[in-house]
Amino acid sequence: MTSEEMTRKVKELSGQNPYLCMQCGLCSASCTGIGVMDLLPRQVMRFLQLGKEEILKNRSIWMCTTCLICTARCPRGIDIARVMEALRTINLRKGNDILAPEDVPAELLAEIPQMALTSGFRKLSA
Amino acid sequence: MAAENKMVSIYIMGKQYEVPYGVTIMKAMEYAGYRFIRGCGCRGGFCGACGTVYRKPDSFRLKVGLACATMVEDGMHLTQIPFYPANRASYKLEELSPSLGTLLQHYPEVTRCLGCNQCTRICPQELSVMDYIAAAQRGDIEKTAHQSFDCIMCGLCASRCPAEIVQYNVGILARRLYGRHIAPRAAHLAERVGEIKAGKFNDELSRLMQMSKEELQRRYEARDIEQ
Amino acid sequence: MGIPYFPGCTLHVKAKGLDDSTRATLAALGLELTELPEWTCCGTAFPLAQDNYMGMVASARILAKAAKEGDGRLVTVCSFCYNVLKRVNFALKNNDEARTKLNAYLEENYNGELRVLHPLELLRDDLGFDSLKTRVDRKLKGMKVACYYGCMLSRPAKEMEFGEPENPALMEEFVKAVGAEPVDFPYKTKCCGSYQVLNNYDLVAGRVKDILKAARVRDSEVIITSCPLCQFNLDWLQDRFADEDKSFSKIPVLYFTQLLGIALEISVAKLGLDNHYVDPKPLLQAG
Ligand code: SF4
Ligand code: SF4
Ligand code: SF4
Ligand code: SF4
Ligand code: FES
Repeated sequence: MTSEEMTRKVKELSGQNPYLCMQCGLCSASCTGIGVMDLLPRQVMRFLQLGKEEILKNRSIWMCTTCLICTARCPRGIDIARVMEALRTINLRKGNDILAPEDVPAELLAEIPQMALTSGFRKLSA
Repeated sequence: MAAENKMVSIYIMGKQYEVPYGVTIMKAMEYAGYRFIRGCGCRGGFCGACGTVYRKPDSFRLKVGLACATMVEDGMHLTQIPFYPANRASYKLEELSPSLGTLLQHYPEVTRCLGCNQCTRICPQELSVMDYIAAAQRGDIEKTAHQSFDCIMCGLCASRCPAEIVQYNVGILARRLYGRHIAPRAAHLAERVGEIKAGKFNDELSRLMQMSKEELQRRYEARDIEQ
Repeated sequence: MGIPYFPGCTLHVKAKGLDDSTRATLAALGLELTELPEWTCCGTAFPLAQDNYMGMVASARILAKAAKEGDGRLVTVCSFCYNVLKRVNFALKNNDEARTKLNAYLEENYNGELRVLHPLELLRDDLGFDSLKTRVDRKLKGMKVACYYGCMLSRPAKEMEFGEPENPALMEEFVKAVGAEPVDFPYKTKCCGSYQVLNNYDLVAGRVKDILKAARVRDSEVIITSCPLCQFNLDWLQDRFADEDKSFSKIPVLYFTQLLGIALEISVAKLGLDNHYVDPKPLLQAG
């Protein structure tokens, strides 16, 4: 995917304009995934602004919990969670996913509420 | 024109054939030259070996039927889908507990169901497949077992599932769990088994064993039969 | 016929305590619920890609069928169910493309007329918190409660209409009405890590630790929630934390309806208090 294609697709899938971002970093400071992401949401936005398509391969986009804290706080009104989902969706639609049912440990399956699987598969599996 | 002489045009995997009106899809395919090694079993609508999908010229909808039990119609486009690759968990039934955890451990993918209803739409047994998967997803083994009871394992539901669930294998696991661990035991059966084990019928059986063939035959023919 | 009620998959077994306590407490307060006749999973997670209508189909069907049942309301208590049903309902009402596509696919004609309600809203609007106050025992007096909304109840604010996105107050009002004392809890709408429990243990463990710590700093005796996944994440990890750190003190995590049940003196057996990892029973003696 070329960088133009990625930018167009992200805009289309998310309905958001990454160029509105002023790089304030509020989303990063608020993010649930802060301890485990290599690139925090502000940096994801910057990669998009610069058209760097390697962001599609970055694992940070899979660490998002769609908690919408970033979305609630962004002073530029960007729904960042939708941008993160757009990046996942581009991957998922090509069959690139990170969560396979058979990878979930049996002990966890015995304990976990099903809704964790339902939501996890919807966000992280193709 | 007498119905028995009438021919209809059907398309098998895209190729046109003239076949007699009033025969089943299976007979029509044989008439057209197909020989079934797989994709055919009971010829009576029970074994589920002959799932077939077709479309008719007047509708965009995909239709479905068992080849042995569905009549050909003019203009039908069809193909058999006698088998669809399916993963099947292996387990020792006696060692399983009839729980949500068991269902999820064997088929975690049931939680991927999108609720698209395509499985219910296609099921030739007219089962509410989506609903039995929904019941499995919530851990209602009894309901899954009952709602999937008439499944003939034709596999058509799995061929349609965007979530890649193999519905009928989930159904049979639920029926097995239900039958082995949940369904109340039949008291009269246990009683009779007890009687047999205690030797109540031993004398009668050994008398039968010693009878001549002619005597057995005479008694068989003279037995009470419900009218 | 009571108010149409969608329990959601998890409440059938795993979070049965939430289902049982919701039905029992609301019934005791004269708000009878009637489970929808046939229902599937709601899908749990609202799809955030603009063209992902397939991800809305399950919720849309549930809503369209529920609209034929009762009096124009649908009650659901699990935070995920509530979030996705409410958001899909919003889409059916306000998004022409979603409405057209979903109705065409489902062969329905449903336009988002239902009101999707959380039991907290029922208690506030149908019963009234003042009236609730008169119904409860003094059992919970002085009990310090951390109200944990998690990420699902109040966001996005425009669609959920559950108060301020990061500072809702409904659960605190409820806690006051049942005679307990809500603590000031800045982590109330932080996320517990959610479904990442399948994918990234560290993420969830880190978030849960923060939330538990914030609750303990305010001397909370119990955390309440309406989400089975929050409940699970906050509850099951505590054993592990206690093994790792001897000074860790556990804190029970209850469904708000269980707290209500205790206040209404509903028998403990009906509240599903046995299925928690951190035993909440000592709380019952406190009062
Ligand atoms: S929605 Fe995703 S990116 Fe935004 S704060 Fe939550 S975890 Fe971080
Ligand atoms: S909060 Fe909004 S404006 Fe600030 S960095 Fe994040 S996306 Fe950009
Ligand atoms: S449930 Fe599936 S396998 Fe069973 S009869 Fe129906 S379509 Fe065939
Ligand atoms: S076809 Fe698959 S995804 Fe669709 S309703 Fe049936 S089980 Fe669910
Ligand atoms: S051959 Fe057995 S069902 Fe058709």
